[in-house]
Amino acid sequence: MMRSHERIEELIAFRSIYGLDPQEQAELEREMASHGPDCEECRRLEIEYGEVGGRLAFALDPVAVRPGFADETIELALAEAPESRPARAGGLWRPLVAVAAALVLFVGGAIVGAAVFGGAEVSQQATVLQLEPQDPALSGSVTAAFTPGERGIYLQGAGLETLPQDRVYELWVITGDTPAAAVCVRPGEDGSVFAFADSQVAPDDLLAVTVEPSSCSEAPTTPPIWVAPVTSR
Amino acid sequence: MTADLSDARDRELVQRIRRGDGEAFRGLFGRYAPSAMALARRVVRQPFLAEEIVQEAFLAVWRNPGGYDPQRGSVRAWLMGMVHHRAVDTVRREESQRRRVEGSQLSDPVVQPDPAGDVVDEIGLPEERRAVRAALDELPAEQRQVIELMYFDGLSQSKISDHLGLPLGTVKSRTLLGMRRLRGSIGGWPR
Repeated sequence: MMRSHERIEELIAFRSIYGLDPQEQAELEREMASHGPDCEECRRLEIEYGEVGGRLAFALDPVAVRPGFADETIELALAEAPESRPARAGGLWRPLVAVAAALVLFVGGAIVGAAVFGGAEVSQQATVLQLEPQDPALSGSVTAAFTPGERGIYLQGAGLETLPQDRVYELWVITGDTPAAAVCVRPGEDGSVFAFADSQVAPDDLLAVTVEPSSCSEAPTTPPIWVAPVTSR
Repeated sequence: MTADLSDARDRELVQRIRRGDGEAFRGLFGRYAPSAMALARRVVRQPFLAEEIVQEAFLAVWRNPGGYDPQRGSVRAWLMGMVHHRAVDTVRREESQRRRVEGSQLSDPVVQPDPAGDVVDEIGLPEERRAVRAALDELPAEQRQVIELMYFDGLSQSKISDHLGLPLGTVKSRTLLGMRRLRGSIGGWPR
């Protein structure tokens, strides 16, 4: 039986022109979750209203940018290229292991005397990884905690950039070249996230965070923006 | 046909940006920065803030071109969506400082040549403007009004309700009816 999309259409339409209030945003997320990631009609509504929301801008006459502005912006962009840009798709994961291993701030080790991580109780043998931003311009911090040999990863983020309403952060556990989806999170207004993933990590795995569509992805569709190797000391 | 061609060009530019091609970034900037600037200035009403927003949006494209998913719409809608979100966020953050809606209205933006700028790649954009304006013109005035206040002024539905002295439910129903019409006229993808 075809599910009704009347309410979800209304919410998606409002969202596409930034007209949702926080309660409606939460309602839309619940509705989308109840329809599931394979809801074709939901996807069609998101795409078509997204087009409306983006294209309305062209009702305005263009405004010439001030002299020099284009060059300033392009110079800023090119100053980041190519080595400081996030890793690109294609041969994505393996090179990151070496890079992240060199950059990681704090890896491994028991948290002596500490059993709370982001408000959750964790084993005193938990390993904490601080994920390394792949772009110096990224704000905030991302930390993961897990107990070696046990299932479960706690993900905590603070001061993260908010995302468009149709995007989420997704955590991946990468074994070799194979990423496995762990959990999707959307930061609150203060940029904080906290989530639990029913996943297990092994030595030499890689933890990575990408930005994905709000329906979550089965495989990464964008380059990782936060990365940490799981190494044993 | 022109829309298909310009969409294909845009997608190709983003593909090249993914490979770190600075010329492609320059091309995308030259093509869309004037439209992005018009939108940002219309929403935030302050040229220096508008510049920040446009610059941030384009740098976000450079840093994460993979954020564009060709299965989910056009490059131009994706790019302008980012500009719009940033602009409305800015307006709502600076609510206490922003101009009163009833008060100053910027004069309509006027296209002025940038003497130092590149030749702007306008392929497909005049048609795009005509199509979007025609779609808005076809809306009943009361539907167009609420959509414009929400989109171009960054007002929430409750603010619009206060501003127009209408019940919130009326604002919502007018918005939805208008958006449904717009979906039918300019919401198609792929085109």
